[in-house]
Amino acid sequence: MSEKGGKGFSLPTKTTPKSALKSTPASATARHDDNSAKSKRGRKVQFGMEGLPNLGFNFSSPKSDGKFAIPVGKGDWAKGGKGEKVVNGGKAPVAKEAKSLELRVEQELPENVKCLMDCEAANILEGIQEQMVMLSQDSTIKLPESFHLGLQYAKTRSYYTNPQSVRRVLEALSKYGVSYSEICVIANTCPETVDEVFALVRSLEAKKSRLSEPLKDVLDELGKLKKST
Amino acid sequence: MFFHIVLERNMQLHPRHFGRNLRENLVSKLMKDVEGTCSGRHGFVVAITGIENVGKGLIRDGTGFVTFPVKYQCVVFRPFKGEVLEAVVTMMGFFAEAGPVQIFVSNHLIPDDMEFQSGDMPNYTTSDGSVKIQKDSEVRLKIIGTRVDATEIFCIGTIKDDFLGVINDPTTA
Repeated sequence: MSEKGGKGFSLPTKTTPKSALKSTPASATARHDDNSAKSKRGRKVQFGMEGLPNLGFNFSSPKSDGKFAIPVGKGDWAKGGKGEKVVNGGKAPVAKEAKSLELRVEQELPENVKCLMDCEAANILEGIQEQMVMLSQDSTIKLPESFHLGLQYAKTRSYYTNPQSVRRVLEALSKYGVSYSEICVIANTCPETVDEVFALVRSLEAKKSRLSEPLKDVLDELGKLKKST
Repeated sequence: MFFHIVLERNMQLHPRHFGRNLRENLVSKLMKDVEGTCSGRHGFVVAITGIENVGKGLIRDGTGFVTFPVKYQCVVFRPFKGEVLEAVVTMMGFFAEAGPVQIFVSNHLIPDDMEFQSGDMPNYTTSDGSVKIQKDSEVRLKIIGTRVDATEIFCIGTIKDDFLGVINDPTTA
């Protein structure tokens, strides 16, 4: 039996269990996992690979061997599985792929979520770490590994001396219709030219004509706010 | 990227924790249960920043446990499709790490002029040798897909776009 469509991908045809045993251990695991929880797994996998050639994925991550429910060897990525239908019949596949990679944070997360720039996140996490030092008498409370990884990442990514002034500068963009999440991506990547901004945040290309001038001013301001390393 | 979000959870507390320190016990249990976990919708819960509200406790029938609905604020890290971020290469293939998230960049998503050189220090190098990707290089990549496991989020990224690729080389730093 093979699973087609939906948000998954078409699996290689499953024959009798004996042939599954004969195949390599990795693919046997993948098939077994697929069999037992394929409906769940199928829904969770959200690879958006529209427009790319058939990829022969055959990798295993060092930490999670065999956990991938991806068929080993060539598989067909169900193009119809993506949520949005791209109605660009005449355009090249590259244009389709670019469209599907737009940042859609606001649609996917609930309303009360606030995007944080990496510098703001670094401040918050450092504050929590200082508090933890005070509370460390209780040895059962210890910070998880993802906290340390997250803190280290945020610290290395914070290029600005003052997050509030960065926020103020970028807020000027919001009146041109730039969403909050796009502002955060611009702040995190520290672009130097306007072209860079449009290349990295594809969803702004539609407003290119309106945004070029204000973006240039904003980028100049941001350049002044960067930490001198 | 990082988000500041309010989440809600029903916490069950054993009667031995009741008393003066009920709230502290509840908060520490919440921290033990939630910090470090990962969900598909919200991403990694990196840290809890505050408790917004603790509701009235309901005693469960049959057992003495009491369920408290707790609303708390936390910092989460969730990668998004289409997001650009900078990651550190951990292994050739190549795999990179951005905070708690693992990202894989396949050969097909690396520019065609970069070739894999195996050996003691495997790396990707351009044909003229000017750009090199090896372990501990910093690369800027764009996420094109995410997958959620029970305890971690894994992404697929690309460097085949404009303004993406190596930021700095560990050998020259």
